[in-house]
Amino acid sequence: MKTAYNIDYLLDLKGEPCPFPAMSTIDAYDDMSDGEVIEVLSDCPQSINSIPVDAKKRGHEVLLVQQDGPTFRYVIRVHK
Amino acid sequence: MASLKKAWNPMLAIPILGALSAFYFGLTQTFWAVTGEFTRWGASLMNLVGIDTSHYSYLKLIHYQGTVLDRVDGIMIIGMFLGAFVAALISNNVKLRWPTSKIRIGQAIGGGILAGFGARLAMGCNLAAFFTGIPQFSLHAWIFTIFTVIGTYFGTKIIKMPFFRPRVKLQRKNSHTLADLHQGDHTSRNRVLLILAGVAIVGLFFVEANKAALLPWVLVFGLAFGFLLEKGQVCFTSAFRDLWTAGRTNMTKAIIVGMLVSTIITYFFIHSGIPAKIMWAGPNVVIGGFVFGIGIVIAGGCETGWMYRAMEGQVHYMLVGVGNIIGAMLLVISWDALAPKIVMPFPKVNLLTSLGNYGGLAFTYGALLLSLLLVMWYERHFFKKNSQPTKEALAHENGL
Repeated sequence: MKTAYNIDYLLDLKGEPCPFPAMSTIDAYDDMSDGEVIEVLSDCPQSINSIPVDAKKRGHEVLLVQQDGPTFRYVIRVHK
Repeated sequence: MASLKKAWNPMLAIPILGALSAFYFGLTQTFWAVTGEFTRWGASLMNLVGIDTSHYSYLKLIHYQGTVLDRVDGIMIIGMFLGAFVAALISNNVKLRWPTSKIRIGQAIGGGILAGFGARLAMGCNLAAFFTGIPQFSLHAWIFTIFTVIGTYFGTKIIKMPFFRPRVKLQRKNSHTLADLHQGDHTSRNRVLLILAGVAIVGLFFVEANKAALLPWVLVFGLAFGFLLEKGQVCFTSAFRDLWTAGRTNMTKAIIVGMLVSTIITYFFIHSGIPAKIMWAGPNVVIGGFVFGIGIVIAGGCETGWMYRAMEGQVHYMLVGVGNIIGAMLLVISWDALAPKIVMPFPKVNLLTSLGNYGGLAFTYGALLLSLLLVMWYERHFFKKNSQPTKEALAHENGL
């Protein structure tokens, strides 16, 4: 699937149980610059209550949340 | 249909769980709880391999008798598993997920053992000594909660060590194409499994209806509990742990609101004559809460958390369940040595008796609201502490 924006990073956390998907995603923001976009994959459905919430709390922009199968996808633009 | 497939906001799912758990108490005269039943499962397993359990007083204390299909807790738990499975199928969340490393396997079993032991030592887990224990006005639930909070703080220190970190690296991507998720189409598989689950539910309904008029209703409540836990992705561990890992409070607040709802309904049932479920408020609760707090963080989930995740096919959480049962059995074996020292000499404190009806109610609501305020204050404090001051802010601070 094509996106209108460039995706700078991919973080594939499939297989990781809670809370590691959320913790690793927060850590990843530290390695990114303002305006960069990250795509996060997680098959821990509980991440729906953590990854988008954490992103917004830190002032980042949630571009996409996809939850139509066991693997969830989050695309986030980092604002610093 | 779309809202059935998506996850529900915990702020919706948990208050419904709070109300249902109170009505469950009104119906069954017992509270929504799971670890006691898992302890009975452990005892049945011990009997199965030829270990005589008749001299363990803990099993008498928790009324270990009959089969899972005869016990209120037993049929409720089967309902929870089936309800969570149905919810996971509807959400298309079912997939066998294998642990990624031996470290994770060790975490699941080791953390599960600690949590199982701690929960049973304190006479309850995240339910009977927290979510359904506080609305029973039992002082032990408050003590347990405080020490669980402390335990999760130390547990978080442990899982933050590099040893436990995922080995996953951030990959440079630079592309306009989303990754292929290789999800496959599970529509027909899910449909078959849903039909099988439906057959099991209907079958159980008739089996239970022949045993006692109450039991089919217990099954219905169990189904609703499991369904809501999965749909809301309700993780009690997250409510404590993620305060420390991420300053996240959505689950914590939803759980407090859930208890605000269930406390008043439970109060009316107790007032109408159903005896409240009160447990010993002794050092066992202090130690149990602390050990439980560390255990759930290492394991990544508590008792209700592993139940719905196991039904989603997360093998990690099936192992947490195994750990919980092992931990509960270790407690059964050590109870007769521990109880005379740290449990039995201490009183069972019912806040409605010691503070009076309105005093107990006022204390519970006051303490719950105070907890809510504390959580909100903590969140603000966390983000203030962790925010990187910008150049402008620094310049402003320096009076430039």
